[in-house]
Amino acid sequence: MKLAALVTRYFKYSHAQHIVDRFLDGYGWHGEYHHPPFDLVSLYVDQVGNDDLSRERGARHPSMRLCSSIAEALTLGGDKLAVDGVVLVGEHGHYPKNEKGQTKYPRYEFFRQIVDVYRSSNRAVPLFSDKHLSWNWDWAKEMYDTSRAMEFPFLAGSSLPVTWRTPSVEMPLGSPIREALCVGYGGVDSYDFHALETIQCMVERRRGGESGVRWLQAYRGESFWEALSEGIWPADLMQAALCRSHTLTPARPGFNDMFPSRDQMRALVKNPVAYVYEHEDGLRSTMLLMNGLVRDFNFAARLGGAPKIFSTQMYLPMPDGRTTLANFFSPLVANMEQMFLTGVPPYPIERTLLTTGLTAAGVESLYQDQKRIATPHLSIRYQPPKESTFERA
Amino acid sequence: MLTRREFVGSAAALLPVAPKKPLRVAVITTIYKYLSHGQHIGDRFLIGYPHDGEWHKPDVQVVSLYVDQKPEGDLSEERAREFGFRVYPTIAEALCCGGDKLACDAVLIVAEHGDYPRNDNGQILYPRYEFFEQCVKVFEKSARAVPVYNDKHLSYSFEKAQSMVAASRKMKFPMLGGSSLPVTWRLPSIDMPWGAHIEEAVMVGEGGSDPMDFHALEALQCMVERRQRGETGVSAVQMLTGDAAWKAGWSKDLLSAALSRSDTPLGLTVKDGRTQDLTAPGVLESLVKEPAAYRIEYRDGLRATLLMLDGAVKDFNFAARVRGAGILSTQFLLTPVPNVTYSACLVSKIEQMFMTRRAPYPIERTLLTSGILESCLTSKKQNQQRLETPHLAVTYRPVREPQYAA
Repeated sequence: MKLAALVTRYFKYSHAQHIVDRFLDGYGWHGEYHHPPFDLVSLYVDQVGNDDLSRERGARHPSMRLCSSIAEALTLGGDKLAVDGVVLVGEHGHYPKNEKGQTKYPRYEFFRQIVDVYRSSNRAVPLFSDKHLSWNWDWAKEMYDTSRAMEFPFLAGSSLPVTWRTPSVEMPLGSPIREALCVGYGGVDSYDFHALETIQCMVERRRGGESGVRWLQAYRGESFWEALSEGIWPADLMQAALCRSHTLTPARPGFNDMFPSRDQMRALVKNPVAYVYEHEDGLRSTMLLMNGLVRDFNFAARLGGAPKIFSTQMYLPMPDGRTTLANFFSPLVANMEQMFLTGVPPYPIERTLLTTGLTAAGVESLYQDQKRIATPHLSIRYQPPKESTFERA
Repeated sequence: MLTRREFVGSAAALLPVAPKKPLRVAVITTIYKYLSHGQHIGDRFLIGYPHDGEWHKPDVQVVSLYVDQKPEGDLSEERAREFGFRVYPTIAEALCCGGDKLACDAVLIVAEHGDYPRNDNGQILYPRYEFFEQCVKVFEKSARAVPVYNDKHLSYSFEKAQSMVAASRKMKFPMLGGSSLPVTWRLPSIDMPWGAHIEEAVMVGEGGSDPMDFHALEALQCMVERRQRGETGVSAVQMLTGDAAWKAGWSKDLLSAALSRSDTPLGLTVKDGRTQDLTAPGVLESLVKEPAAYRIEYRDGLRATLLMLDGAVKDFNFAARVRGAGILSTQFLLTPVPNVTYSACLVSKIEQMFMTRRAPYPIERTLLTSGILESCLTSKKQNQQRLETPHLAVTYRPVREPQYAA
């Protein structure tokens, strides 16, 4: 099987490097060194910077054609589609930001060019698109609708839902989830998406499946602390999630691992962000970004009838000094492989359509002075896969 | 009108039930400074620790502290002031809280870090045995013994380690020791199947001797002890370094499986982020300047090898060939500094022993790993000869319930 990869930039520790390298050089997987059974035959890089590695990769893997256009990568220079699957990584690179602070990564633009080739070739092949579908909700919806209309397998999203967990636990299918929360770190229109995917891969397994989201409200800075005091989200879930962290910043010098008081949290976290949103079946979910306090993603939920809070960490081996490989990309690539081999995405694209919309709604609420945003367009219903898809083998 | 008896009875009913007193713990350490084992283990008994999704505050009171050395950055007096206990000048006084007999319910010995000489085996002469012996003297004098946790290996000397275990048996006090690797999270979260027929095991570690090789040996041992018929002890060891380590008779497919679990390959991965098969020809040889193979022959015929591969990886990974199950492999997750939450997993086990007076896993594991390490380092010193180890006929039954963080 032949694959094409289309990326914005390819430098050390960029998403493109993590993902495409695994197809080219293989990766440790399930107790052996695994070489994906595909030929990555073409690569398009939108911005080739001084730190570019794609040329080195091309030289070392001469069977991979370095292409100057998306169409060329898909047709291998011919006049119709010549690959059996496409990997789109539109993350990193110098792209403008809009007035709301969203980076206008050209995922939709790449997608349009891909489906142009699909259409002119009368053939559509499976597509993976990294992270959220687009910064622009209407475009994301169009991408989704197009994939449905053209009936090609479409997978997207974050590696958080599929990475290791400490502890290694799954939300039981059909759980009566009352409230859910994730504490993570990073920026708006960036790691918020990872935290939203963390929540979504868990709450979609609740009784009845996903019902869609009615509204979202963001809180930032002082209003975050006020909302916490007012109980806008449950402090006990936040505490449980923080107790799964491996990276709590010690609030006092000389201590290496301590649980911060509310005042200490305020001193550590200068610009916290929360997205609180209500699903159509009444479930309330909360996404917290607490830069300065944690550097990992932790989930907690209250289940009806369970005396104890359910909690875990979506573990990211992070090459920021902690590891050298971002091995959470391995399960993401393994799920792509499965889609390319079987033609069936292992988890539904609707998850990422919803989290794409939630990310945009969070940005919008922050832009509109933290107003509650009605989200009738996020009335996205779907059922999760019955099997667990996170990495545990 | 109430009789006196009725009055006393009804008044007593109104009083709250006297709360059970927290367990009194004496802490004995070499040093107490930021990120020393003494500090991060000791502090968890003072301020609690994360456990099972909660911030757990042990029902204990640290009543005394002894520190052998007070280097720059010493925190002992600061902690004593803040948490209301005293730093005593001797171990006996710490255990007796200044009185003349044992005045605590448990002892935490953390003799790791600090300035101590090395012997000609290269082992750091941490005074674990010496600390323990002083505790036992107080126990004897007081005709009462309490649970003791001893961090890491029992002693650099197997003979001393053995006498420590003998003392705990004789005086019938529970004892726990060892590394946090056996109890930390695993990626994936698997245990060796109970009663497995293990054909061969390979452990990969890094970080030098004799702090980190001990951790790796404990990780290896907590897996292989679960095999058919339990632990039988070790009949011979050999430590090979340099080129001989590459030809030490371990199976390449097990090394490959263990390394496939690593998140920290060095070399080209550090250079440009790429994934790489470290077992491709020549890669390990170019990355690892001083490889070391610790070959362990168990009395029941099992062969295991610890490969210390400084320069190749920065984490601890295990693989074993199990009859009927193929190759099992996992990473023992050492979570990042400064939280080092893996030590919270260990403290939870220590607290369990303090509270229940039962060690959650047998001290013989750590007795054996202490002895394996000493004999391996002796082999290295003696021209890397294979050494028969009749003294390591340490047999024990492990506990069946998994003990690692899940």
